[in-house]
Amino acid sequence: MSQATWIPGGLFDNIDKFANSLGYQNAAIALELAMVPWKSPEERDAFIMGITGDDVQGGTEKNYAIKQLGR
Amino acid sequence: MASGGKRPGAPQNNPANVSATGGAGQMGSQAARYIPGGKYGDGKALMEQQMGASMAKAPSPVSPRSLSDMAMPSVGTLMDPTNNPSEPISAGSDFGRGVDSSALPKGLGNNTRPDENQLIIQQYMPDLVYAASSENAPDSFKRFVNYLAGKQ
Repeated sequence: MSQATWIPGGLFDNIDKFANSLGYQNAAIALELAMVPWKSPEERDAFIMGITGDDVQGGTEKNYAIKQLGR
Repeated sequence: MASGGKRPGAPQNNPANVSATGGAGQMGSQAARYIPGGKYGDGKALMEQQMGASMAKAPSPVSPRSLSDMAMPSVGTLMDPTNNPSEPISAGSDFGRGVDSSALPKGLGNNTRPDENQLIIQQYMPDLVYAASSENAPDSFKRFVNYLAGKQ
């Protein structure tokens, strides 16, 4: 079975960031915002920080890099 | 042959000869006319009144304007700066800065989010579980999917 693609700025990465930043109870909003075609992860993170006034929550891209290096 | 004088058969003297368009009217330049039959002094007063007050001119026609001709502000995009900088962008929502949803008018308080959440969970849960089972999936994403699974 193939693995889901986890890349910074990908759909699942966006879901992870929005769901953990906005709160699980806002899952519907998080999923809709995750589907927005953000120009870059930086733009997405700036949007999250703008509406929450806090740092972006969720897994970091470092995790993905470590996993990729470990392959 | 006699010339001049009123000719009863001329077109302008035929009572049946009526302009179909009604004529152009006087357009505010109607001359003052003495109106007999009033009391002594009324005739002069009426003459002065007619000469003093000019006839109202017909209003100039106003061409109908369509909505596209009106100066409407552009809608903008999601990333444009706010038009209301004194209010946090998250005001009225249950996250971020500003007041929460309890400050919204009562008409907006009908929260359908649980139903919306449930619908989305049902729709996307297979894909989310698939993504969470990936070896690259971060723990935060797995916790989120577990939360959604517990809500089903």
